[in-house]
Amino acid sequence: MEYKKKEITYTPEQQQDIKKATWLSAIPGLGQFYNKQNFKGLLFLGIFILFIIEMITFGAGAFEGLITLGTVPREDHSLFLLIEGTLQILVTLIFLIFLGVNMMDAHRVAKIKALNPKNVNTTIQATFKNAMDDGFPYLLTIPAYLVMLFAIVFPVLVTLFVAFTNYDFYHIPPATLVDWVGLETFINIFSLNTYRDTFFAVFSWTVIWTLTATTLQLVIGVGTAVVLNQQFIKFKRVFGVVMLLPWAVPAFITILTFSNMFNPSVGAINTQVIPFINSIIPFLEISSISWKVDPFWTKVAIITIQGWLGFPYIYVLTSGILQSIPNDWYEASVIDGASSFQKFRFITLPQIFAVAAPIFVTQYTGNFNNFSMIYLFNEGGPGSVGSGAGSTDILISWIYKLTTGTSPQYNIAAAVTLIISVVVITISMLVFKRTRAFDMED
Amino acid sequence: MSQAIIEFKEVTKKYGEETVLKNINFSIEKGLFYTLLGPSGCGKSTILNIIAGFTDTTQGEVKLNQKSAENLPPNKRKINTVFQDYALFPHMNVFENVAFGLKIKKMDKNKVKEKVKEALRMVQLENYETREIVEMSGGQRQRVAIARALINEPDVLLLDEPLSALDLKLRTDMQYELRELQQRLGITFIYVTHDQEEALAMSDEIFVMKAGEIVQSGTPVDIYDEPINRYVADFIGESNILKGQMVEDYRVAFGGNVFECVDGGMKPEEVVDVAIRPEDLVLVPENKGCINVKIDTQLFRGVHYEIIAYDAEGNEWMVHSTHKAEVGKQVALQFESYDMHIMRIGETEKEFDERIEAYTEEGNR
Repeated sequence: MEYKKKEITYTPEQQQDIKKATWLSAIPGLGQFYNKQNFKGLLFLGIFILFIIEMITFGAGAFEGLITLGTVPREDHSLFLLIEGTLQILVTLIFLIFLGVNMMDAHRVAKIKALNPKNVNTTIQATFKNAMDDGFPYLLTIPAYLVMLFAIVFPVLVTLFVAFTNYDFYHIPPATLVDWVGLETFINIFSLNTYRDTFFAVFSWTVIWTLTATTLQLVIGVGTAVVLNQQFIKFKRVFGVVMLLPWAVPAFITILTFSNMFNPSVGAINTQVIPFINSIIPFLEISSISWKVDPFWTKVAIITIQGWLGFPYIYVLTSGILQSIPNDWYEASVIDGASSFQKFRFITLPQIFAVAAPIFVTQYTGNFNNFSMIYLFNEGGPGSVGSGAGSTDILISWIYKLTTGTSPQYNIAAAVTLIISVVVITISMLVFKRTRAFDMED
Repeated sequence: MSQAIIEFKEVTKKYGEETVLKNINFSIEKGLFYTLLGPSGCGKSTILNIIAGFTDTTQGEVKLNQKSAENLPPNKRKINTVFQDYALFPHMNVFENVAFGLKIKKMDKNKVKEKVKEALRMVQLENYETREIVEMSGGQRQRVAIARALINEPDVLLLDEPLSALDLKLRTDMQYELRELQQRLGITFIYVTHDQEEALAMSDEIFVMKAGEIVQSGTPVDIYDEPINRYVADFIGESNILKGQMVEDYRVAFGGNVFECVDGGMKPEEVVDVAIRPEDLVLVPENKGCINVKIDTQLFRGVHYEIIAYDAEGNEWMVHSTHKAEVGKQVALQFESYDMHIMRIGETEKEFDERIEAYTEEGNR
């Protein structure tokens, strides 16, 4: 049987009524009064009046401040004006949404009223009951949306706005004013020689770092898990605990320890490990390596340490997945004559990816922003690639230097932050879409 | 007797101290449907694993096509397995699953396509190639698993409780389909189950197992009509089993009476088990039948009423009747001499067969 939506035709007078109620509620409350919903009307009108008062006492000034970012140095604090203006944008946005909902409500109620005026809730109790019954899901979720708006959208918006100003060490409020400069910061990053070279040097190292370090930790993690899950391995538990050790020690302590070990003149690697290797392997003569001084060797060290630090997590994850693969699958493939490698290639690996692909992606994005590894090992050094960035600085540690140094450039930092966000979000979305991990429906 | 393609000779399997299989002997002929029937833990899956090549024997010999199967890896045996949970790969679609074996063998792609099509046609899943496994029902997955096994053109197909995950209706349908498929292809099926109905419905030959031993083997009709002992009689179908005593050949005493029967070859005065199937019992008015009983309870089972009654000695009798009985009423049970099946206690299958051989002629006179 086919369900057919009932067509309701309204008389011209009724249509007139509905229209009137809808447009009257452009001033919230009036449409509700017109529909004989006095309590609701009073409530909505109250909200409207509150907003008007807020607008007169605070809002108008905040908007003006946002546009001008102050006119008198030392009196107007540009940064505060920017923040207040952003807040006012959110408040206004909330009001506009309220206005829309209020007009839709008036329209809907007017339609009900046209059919049968008795069906319209006019008493306070009925209005409350209706709100609790039909509006319950909305009442529950509205606080969450409000918190999200102020805790997440608000700071993102402020960062976004800063990227379009000239907020740097020449313009530090309140001594000087900050001004809107439009896309100039972005144009500078991509066109001014100094910024452009630094940006591309840092960006390309960030990409290389992310790909190699993360891939290394994935390969070691999956590899150890697969090997240690073979049946012939004895003392699995002992190995399991040993594998977890890099994970158990706080990362920053490990990084600082490694940083000391890799010290080119007094560190253990150059003074003990390399001579030891040289002494036990005949005819091998490795000279001291200039860790932390030579950019290449510093990068090698950082990537290796990250592989060591990052693999236990992958190992634990993969071990769990391996244990959930039914033995029947392997038996079935053995009947078909699959070799050990084919079993790994066609059954084990696809199963690991099917389950863990989203987590692998977070490993990549995590390393893209892995500040502590880069900064704690050698503070982004050695050397400089311009604009305050060292040769092993990735975008995130460069941002840190841009905002904390003696000559901060908040606008560049904000712009780079936005670029990072766009990259991370785009890649995550692409991969997540492909892996089905975020299919909410079954 | 045609050539045996699988032969077990005095096969024993131990896991540490525990003996899982005790002195198993049987031979499997080409083109028949065999069932290993027994409760879980009786060793039937171990036999399958030995045939498939996943487990080796502790003692004894296994021959495949008259040749010793020792150290022959699973993929070198022309034997395929359909697993209980199908063991389909969820990250591959139907085509990739069925083609898996051929892909491993690096067969030509066009030929693979052709063979997969053929295999899917055999299990009536044409045009399902691009379906994902998760999108398929239990019965369809079952058939994909069979297609994946069939594509390797095995001589023997091992099925390890393949229907246990399906609902009743589908299970019955699949019983027909499996039997029909086996007869159409002429491949030997070795089917493991604990469900006696499945075994009876599909098999050419059943091996009833208990605690690592084959208790009885034979056609479904033989095993149903002539169970060797209390265990088989109870496991296959429902039975009323009573203690009795042989008076002489063809005369047995139980329930306070002496009855004519068709079995012989026991010692005089020997204590025996007497089995009577509930559907062979007929309710008649009191004192008009063989034994008087009082009806205790009654259940409606759909096809029939299941009636429980007790005789004067307190023995429980189960009767299957299409007629309703009256609870609490005194009635009598009527049965014929050939409805009684008499089983010696502790008789081996060999002795049993010889005795049946010797006495059936006379019994049927």
